[in-house]
Amino acid sequence: MIKRVKGFDPEFMDYASKFESEINRGISTLCIMSIINQYEDEGVHGYQISKDLQEQTNEILIIEEGTLYPILRKLEEDGLIKSKREKTGRRRKFYFITEKGGKIFNYLSGFFSKLTEAIAPLFDVNVKLKRDQYFYCPNCANKIDLSMKRVSFCDVCGHQIDLELKSRGFSDE
Amino acid sequence: MSNTESEDLIDEFIEEIKKSLPEWLKNKKEHKEILADLEEHLREKAIELSDTGKITFKSTLDAIEHMGTPKAIAKEYKRRGTPYVYITKEMWPLYLRMLTMIFAVVIVLNVIVMVSNIIFENPPSDQILGDFISGIQFGLFIAFIMISVTFVLLSREGYFPEDLKSKKVLEKEHKFIQKAQEEGYPLSKKTGRPLKPYIKPLEEIIGGGIGLITGVFFITQPVFVGLLDPLFSLIIRIIGVLLIIESTMDISRGIIGNHKPSTHQIIYGVKVVLKFVGIPFIIFLALNPQIFPWFNYNEISGKWVNQGVSVDFYGILRSLMIVFAVLTGFITLKDIYRIVKLQNYK
Repeated sequence: MIKRVKGFDPEFMDYASKFESEINRGISTLCIMSIINQYEDEGVHGYQISKDLQEQTNEILIIEEGTLYPILRKLEEDGLIKSKREKTGRRRKFYFITEKGGKIFNYLSGFFSKLTEAIAPLFDVNVKLKRDQYFYCPNCANKIDLSMKRVSFCDVCGHQIDLELKSRGFSDE
Repeated sequence: MSNTESEDLIDEFIEEIKKSLPEWLKNKKEHKEILADLEEHLREKAIELSDTGKITFKSTLDAIEHMGTPKAIAKEYKRRGTPYVYITKEMWPLYLRMLTMIFAVVIVLNVIVMVSNIIFENPPSDQILGDFISGIQFGLFIAFIMISVTFVLLSREGYFPEDLKSKKVLEKEHKFIQKAQEEGYPLSKKTGRPLKPYIKPLEEIIGGGIGLITGVFFITQPVFVGLLDPLFSLIIRIIGVLLIIESTMDISRGIIGNHKPSTHQIIYGVKVVLKFVGIPFIIFLALNPQIFPWFNYNEISGKWVNQGVSVDFYGILRSLMIVFAVLTGFITLKDIYRIVKLQNYK
């Protein structure tokens, strides 16, 4: 963000830019996973990911587009995503989330949502989680989609959630 | 500005990335694909940023700015591995292995130098010891610094141990992993990679078979019947029984194969007990060399006679038996180590 501002105090800019990069690092990887997750079976190519990332974050989360590919490579190496190259035409590489990636993403997404909600008061902002659509495991913060098939246990920590789901009327309040 | 200039700009940018990429990536097949993907992205971005819908010099410049510097892109590729005291966790086991290996070489070299000094120069003993210790200290220090610096640099570049292996070795490992998956080898808790088979079934069966035949031979004593010292004959029979039990177990292990690690652990436990039982008998033989047989053919009577081992050979016999007992002790320790190691396969 700060890089967009020209003619700023260089010392401030340098410090702020480094801090921004640190904050962005993990978040951008999570957002990239989120976009790949949205495309499910059809998959998505690198250029579309960077485009969606800009659009869906209102051009706030900016990553240097060239650095997207090493991040994708790392995710693939870690088995969180897989890729398939087009056999004809532009031979673009399409990325898909794996089962392992989906599980990790649900957990991290839940953790990040709960974290954002928890730290929101520090910045005097309101964050409202969609508790009517998702259940956040009270034990590990794993995000469970309530539109999917009913689950009795958290698939990350094994915590029994069916009773809590029932008693809270699909809410973990 | 002409289209050629935009093309030159793209080529130059991709060439810069190519130069900046880490060496381990340059050796891989995907290297070309990475550059192709980046070029494709850059072109698409340049079209998006162009007013005309075609790549222009300005839109290419803007697209390059969006891509980030070649250094930043390369840096992201180098960000690989889990940070752990300046050397990544992935490189740490190789680092320790290398240190151990080089340290061993340094010590061996210093021992060779010390021995040759003693032989050729024969200096005073305090000088020999002083030179030896300072030689080891200096060698270890230099080796430690050089290896540590090398591994810190390799970690910073994002190297993994497999990047330092040849294609042939990697292929071999790949084949092993495939075989391991097919045959359901257990996975290491530490690395998640398949563990090597802990026994070679055929070797166990053949070894067990030979042991079984030897054990039967010891018990039945089919040659020189009645000529052996009764005590020697008894001890050999006892050792024969122990050998048969152990060999039968080896054959069973061979039949079980690389499955049921707990069963293998129990068998190893029994083998350890059997070996411990056998050691006192070997020591007894070492202490009583007079009961060892030595056969001679008596031409007058036309029969074989046990005249016993000559007193001159008692020393050799004792040493042989002690070496045998020590070896059995070492094998027993190895079996105990195997019991512990098998825990990883559960």
